[in-house]
Amino acid sequence: MISTIKRFFNTFLLIELLKGLAVTGRHLFARKITIQYPDERTPQSPRFRGLHAQRRYANGEERCIACKLCEAVCPAMAITIESAQRADGTRRTTRYDIDLTKCIFCGFCEEACPVDAIVETRIFEYHGERRGDLYYTKAMLLAVGDQYEAQIAADRAADAKYR
Amino acid sequence: MPLITIDDQQIEIAAGSTVMDAARAAGIYIPHFCYHKKLSIAASCRMCLIEVEKAPKPLPACATPVTDGMVVRSYSAKAVEAQKGVMEFLLINHPLDCPICDQGGECQLQDIAVGYGGVASRYAEAKRVVKEKDLGPLVATDMTRCIHCSRCVRFGQEIAGIMELGMPGRGEHTEVMPFLEHHVSSELSGNVIDLCPVGALTSKPFRFSARSWEMARRKGISPHDGLGSNLALQVKDNRVMRVTPVDNEAINECWLADRDRFSYQALNSAERLTRPMVKDGGRWVEVDWPKAMAFAAGALKVIRDTHGASAIGFIASPHQTVEELYLFQKLARALGCENIDSRIDRVDFSGRRDGVEWLGMAVTDLNKLDRVLLVASTVRKEQPLIAQRLRQAVKKGAQVNVVHCADDDLLCSVANKLIARPSDLVNILAQVAKAVGADIDGLSDVVVSDAARAMAASLKSGEKKAVLLGAVAQQHPAASELHVLAQAIAKATGATLGFLVDSANAVGAGVVGCRPRQGGLNAAAMFVAPKKAYVILGAEPELDAADSAVAHQALAGAELVIALSPFKTAGADYAQVMLPVAAYAETAGSYVNMEGRLQSWCAAIPPQGEARTAWKVLRVLGNQFGLAGFDQDSAEQVLAEALPEGEATVRARLNNEIADVTVAHLNAAAGIERLGDTAVYQLDAYSRRAPALQVTVDGQVGHAAMACGALIARLGLSEDKPVKVRQSDAEVVFKLMRDDRLPDNVVRLAGGLAAAVQLGPRFGPISLEKM
Amino acid sequence: MTLSAQSLLSADSLAQIDKEVAKYPADQKPSAVMAALRIAQVEKGWLAPATIESVAQYLGMPTIAVYEVATFYNMYQLEPCGRHKITVCTNLPCQLQGADTVADYLKQKLGIGFGETTPDGRFTLKEGECMGTCGSGPLCLHNNHTMHAHLSPETVDKLLDELK
Repeated sequence: MISTIKRFFNTFLLIELLKGLAVTGRHLFARKITIQYPDERTPQSPRFRGLHAQRRYANGEERCIACKLCEAVCPAMAITIESAQRADGTRRTTRYDIDLTKCIFCGFCEEACPVDAIVETRIFEYHGERRGDLYYTKAMLLAVGDQYEAQIAADRAADAKYR
Repeated sequence: MPLITIDDQQIEIAAGSTVMDAARAAGIYIPHFCYHKKLSIAASCRMCLIEVEKAPKPLPACATPVTDGMVVRSYSAKAVEAQKGVMEFLLINHPLDCPICDQGGECQLQDIAVGYGGVASRYAEAKRVVKEKDLGPLVATDMTRCIHCSRCVRFGQEIAGIMELGMPGRGEHTEVMPFLEHHVSSELSGNVIDLCPVGALTSKPFRFSARSWEMARRKGISPHDGLGSNLALQVKDNRVMRVTPVDNEAINECWLADRDRFSYQALNSAERLTRPMVKDGGRWVEVDWPKAMAFAAGALKVIRDTHGASAIGFIASPHQTVEELYLFQKLARALGCENIDSRIDRVDFSGRRDGVEWLGMAVTDLNKLDRVLLVASTVRKEQPLIAQRLRQAVKKGAQVNVVHCADDDLLCSVANKLIARPSDLVNILAQVAKAVGADIDGLSDVVVSDAARAMAASLKSGEKKAVLLGAVAQQHPAASELHVLAQAIAKATGATLGFLVDSANAVGAGVVGCRPRQGGLNAAAMFVAPKKAYVILGAEPELDAADSAVAHQALAGAELVIALSPFKTAGADYAQVMLPVAAYAETAGSYVNMEGRLQSWCAAIPPQGEARTAWKVLRVLGNQFGLAGFDQDSAEQVLAEALPEGEATVRARLNNEIADVTVAHLNAAAGIERLGDTAVYQLDAYSRRAPALQVTVDGQVGHAAMACGALIARLGLSEDKPVKVRQSDAEVVFKLMRDDRLPDNVVRLAGGLAAAVQLGPRFGPISLEKM
Repeated sequence: MTLSAQSLLSADSLAQIDKEVAKYPADQKPSAVMAALRIAQVEKGWLAPATIESVAQYLGMPTIAVYEVATFYNMYQLEPCGRHKITVCTNLPCQLQGADTVADYLKQKLGIGFGETTPDGRFTLKEGECMGTCGSGPLCLHNNHTMHAHLSPETVDKLLDELK
């Protein structure tokens, strides 16, 4: 009985509406948490797993030795490697492709790599106009590595003590 | 029999067995490196240490004989502690380079280190580094990885019969190496790749090209010698990346000859024929299949209609499958032609044969022989794994007697040998026949030498005996006489007569009727009296024929040559149509090996390009002619038609008997003569196109003319220099090499060489001239 | 083609090898390999690869098996050496009796280190292992056969003067 009367008064005194407006009012003056991407950005962890890169040593030699552990561990089968003996007798890839449309960014390839050759960078805003643009070849991955080597090296160094 | 307990499991095992044998019989795995079931016991790695009750220290399972009531624990705290200790020592000097090691993923050290290795090494001092060794074009080395198990060394001593690798040095300075910088030249050398438990010895042609986990293993049969070794074709992306053995105790045990192991390179050769081609005005034009088939059938029909079916010759390679050869002869006979043969390298077809020549016994029986007479066989190069079995027999006391044209080193001790020039071969075999008192006519003038008498004495003693005819005996101009003499010797001594069949499916070819019957011509006759047209299946008669010059001339002069081949170069200069057919790994099929064993397999990879399996091509050719009985849907169906009762059908048609031959060629010819046996890596289209095999010592030697030092000196020639070789009006320049194992007045120049095509017959007069 | 044994080893050496071979059963010729290598080394001064090959051929052994033996024992000389090979024991008992002083004196006097040969080809100095007579150390062995005991710088001087 009492509840029926309560509901009757609440209905025409617009209590619910005022309650809602109070929430709006509270948020109108509270501190804002929305990030104005792309003008503002959230901070990233050095462990962030974005676009892949192939690294080189300081002398310009590519790190990858074609051990194929990343290919074996990749749960999405996104990596394709072909290998051969290079003229100097070393073991090298003749093909190293990552299909980024398959990749699930789990970071296992990075974990598996014994020479820190394949790494995931902080870049997440890459795009392609066609599906094929997201099929990254060895040359493209090396180019990413060359461009962001400073950042990649700093991130590895920051995370080294936890690995 | 002693009863022992291993890990609470009771096993009864023959006295004299080791704990390792008992554990294997019980299905208990004891980690090991140096132990191998086919090699002697070294007990050098100590990985198999186990705890034996009442023994004060852990004992190596591989070298501890079982005793009654023994209680063994392979996984007790004490045993595991010992094994872990050994593992730590083994890893001290082993480099941590698994990511670049080809053995990675199939490495015993890697596997066992997971179970018994420490997390980190306590060893902080410098690691041992060993200089690389160059073992030749087949085996790659990374000797720093070696753990000194000595399997490769023991393999050389015990199985290959030639100790090319040794372990000089002492303690930490021990290294596995050949003497000086010698290459490893054994025809079984590839087996050390499988034996090496780490990545110290790996395959050079395969180096760095794939990982073990990427490849599918598909079963195949070796397309080379008549043994039919079982292969695991390891396939990645529809490409055979490497070949390893499949254990088969009845055939190849766990070994493979280098030829079986490395000839897969030919499958990926640039010479592969991938589209049908038709010659148009002297130029090769690629066409589609319907066009090519219509052209081939049409042209063949024209020849048949104008000249009759007997103007066509059907030549097949004895390395093709049973199914292909069956349909091939069926097509020929349906067209009314009896000129069908696969014995391209034979000359002498005289005498009456009642069946197909075969080994005469099971391959495993070879190990149990007491006395062997090898007639004109360099068995070591022809059937390397048969030689291995004879070697085991010799170890158990067998006596091997050799009658041959060259004193080739068979890598086992030979009791008696008679070496003579090819034209004298009948005579020396006749001497042995006379000495054993064989029942055969025409030997009254034969003078028996002491050596022949000694050989006869050897053959008359012993229990299990065999007289085995090798490749040269089969290719010899007087092959039938050698055959009948060998038969007489076998009868007189109670031995089994056998043929060391030199091609993968020669027995199968005979069984399915790939031989001329009444009114047909054999291979040699088809070339001597040229035909208007030839249909060639997989063969390269211009290389493999007994008389390559005559064969080449006949083919070049023919109006029509239809070549069904996996390779472009075979027949490119004389054929009018080339139809690409699948190579051995690309087709389902069957081979019958020399002991009459039928082995079938499925295709490991699809045919390259537009190539089609040969049995399908032959079936469609039959359809083109509107012939009945060419409607099979699968290789199994063809096989069921070819051999209705399978192996029983094969066995019913095997027979080594020969009759109606008179021994006449008892006098040696005068002058210098050629010994044209087949070089080990020129046996067939596949081995010929494997670059790694061609650059081995055996591959290189096959390309030179060889003569003994006395002959070279008498002719005023110099060794290792080019020399003009003249035979039947043709002249070709070859490198001359010295081989003092050849008798005087003999020039060994292998058959099957592209450079020697013009020279002609494999046997007969030859001369050498200074450049 | 490899050279035959006869062309490399003298008839005298081969006769000596035959004598050693005769000590073992007829089918166990390889048992004489150590003796044969010693005899060959005495004749040639050192074991060149060709010498090893001819010993192997003479005994019917694989060359690498003979090489294994030759590399295992350090009295076999695998490089050319001087006319006089002096092997000084440097194991602990000799050390305690002054072997290092003797060795240093030899090195300084000859102007060479262990494993080296004087430029005139007269002396080769080698470091040796225990020779089994520790009581009379410091010790040295001359050309594998003659032992000189109780060495001191003075006796070394005397010894070197004797060896021409």
